[in-house]
Amino acid sequence: MTDAKYHAPEQGSLEGKVFRPASLDELREAIELAFDYRGDITVELKSGGQVTGYLFNRTATGEQPTIELFPAISSGTMTIPFSEVAAVAFTGEDTATGKSWEAWVAKKDSERRREVDRVEADAKARGHL
Amino acid sequence: MAVPVSQMYTVTKYVLTQKLRGVKRYPLVLMLEPLFRCNLACAGCGKIQYPDHVLDKRLTPEQCWAASDECGAPIISIPGGEPLIHPEMPEIVRGLVARQKYVYLCTNAILLERKLDEYQASKFLTFSVHMDGLKDEHDLAVCRDGVYDVAVKAIKAALKRGHRVTTNTTLFDDANPERVRKFFDEMMALGVEGMMISPGYSYQKAPDQQHFLKRSRTTELFSKILSNRKRGWQFNQSPLFLEFLMGRREYQCTPWGNPTYNVFGWQRPCYLLQEGYVASFRELMEKTDWDSYGTGRNEKCADCMVHCGYEASAVEDTFGSLSGFAKTVKITLLPNVR
Repeated sequence: MTDAKYHAPEQGSLEGKVFRPASLDELREAIELAFDYRGDITVELKSGGQVTGYLFNRTATGEQPTIELFPAISSGTMTIPFSEVAAVAFTGEDTATGKSWEAWVAKKDSERRREVDRVEADAKARGHL
Repeated sequence: MAVPVSQMYTVTKYVLTQKLRGVKRYPLVLMLEPLFRCNLACAGCGKIQYPDHVLDKRLTPEQCWAASDECGAPIISIPGGEPLIHPEMPEIVRGLVARQKYVYLCTNAILLERKLDEYQASKFLTFSVHMDGLKDEHDLAVCRDGVYDVAVKAIKAALKRGHRVTTNTTLFDDANPERVRKFFDEMMALGVEGMMISPGYSYQKAPDQQHFLKRSRTTELFSKILSNRKRGWQFNQSPLFLEFLMGRREYQCTPWGNPTYNVFGWQRPCYLLQEGYVASFRELMEKTDWDSYGTGRNEKCADCMVHCGYEASAVEDTFGSLSGFAKTVKITLLPNVR
């Protein structure tokens, strides 16, 4: 099936922002933003450690709400309880920003050409062309 | 005939069996996404926007077969990403075909001709080639010159080897109805078995008035394209779904009709909306609040008329009543008679 073009409006990216929630509601809000974010985040744990990865799921209800990540530097998944999250930082590149169809159409021809060439070179390097 | 009789028989038998058993929610097509990595980067594609370490993840053949067994749908659609990049895709397909599933392997066809030796022609396997229109429109949509020609060459090669080949096309507001009709002529002239069309889905939140106009524009566009359709055009879709696209029928979404399984798990609620993931198909079916999705129920769904939500509604209409069945037969035989 063909995927749809993403016609979302261009909005300011969360890239670089850090959320240090003061309440459960604020934490829930930050985690929802992280769930929608198309880049890696870094979770600062109350224990003092931190985990960087892609937040692909969250269970915000129930006795022990959790988030699930694909860590950036290891395989498998990691589940972290809400109660252990001290801060959420949007540290990875926002892979969706500026990628709407409208943004593509609005670009100069030379910019589009450079982008196409870069994507093609990347696919060739991976053996996908 | 757009699909073989054996496939129609299998789907009909499956639907009627579910109905006789009193199963209220049953899947028709499993959307199996074994990877998100693609060799194209179409502008605005929502499926490939992930960090590299996520794009590098792939489902194993065993995970794919287990998802198929768990779901039980008679048809498996394999989108992506680009499935032909997956090194174990031939093995995945062989396993699904051995389970007598009708597999639609969706591809942009860039690698198709090179990979054909790895796939055995079968009534259970169809290459569903992504084509967004004639050369100019397609190459613009996929953001690379020459892809249309590569795809056409690959379609010819696949057909020559006895493979089933269909096309799938997403249309947006800017589509030119006359050009789309010409595109249909060209695809049928190539010899493809059937074509699949669907309106693009905008995720954009907008006030209700805009939602209404958006849907109106969609039905207007599809009416222009599908009215007085040529006899030679074959669509690999429910005739009632095409009527829905033309605004001649109203349906509510059937989001459980096309469940999605990918590297994140079972996607809730559908292929296009990511509300979260669960570990099992059973959990997806039993613990998703299905009534929260569909037009008029959720603003994210307001404009959606995509096949993954509404094709199953059309099939349900066909088998849900004698009048629906009679209408389907009539439209199949006489598509231009209302």
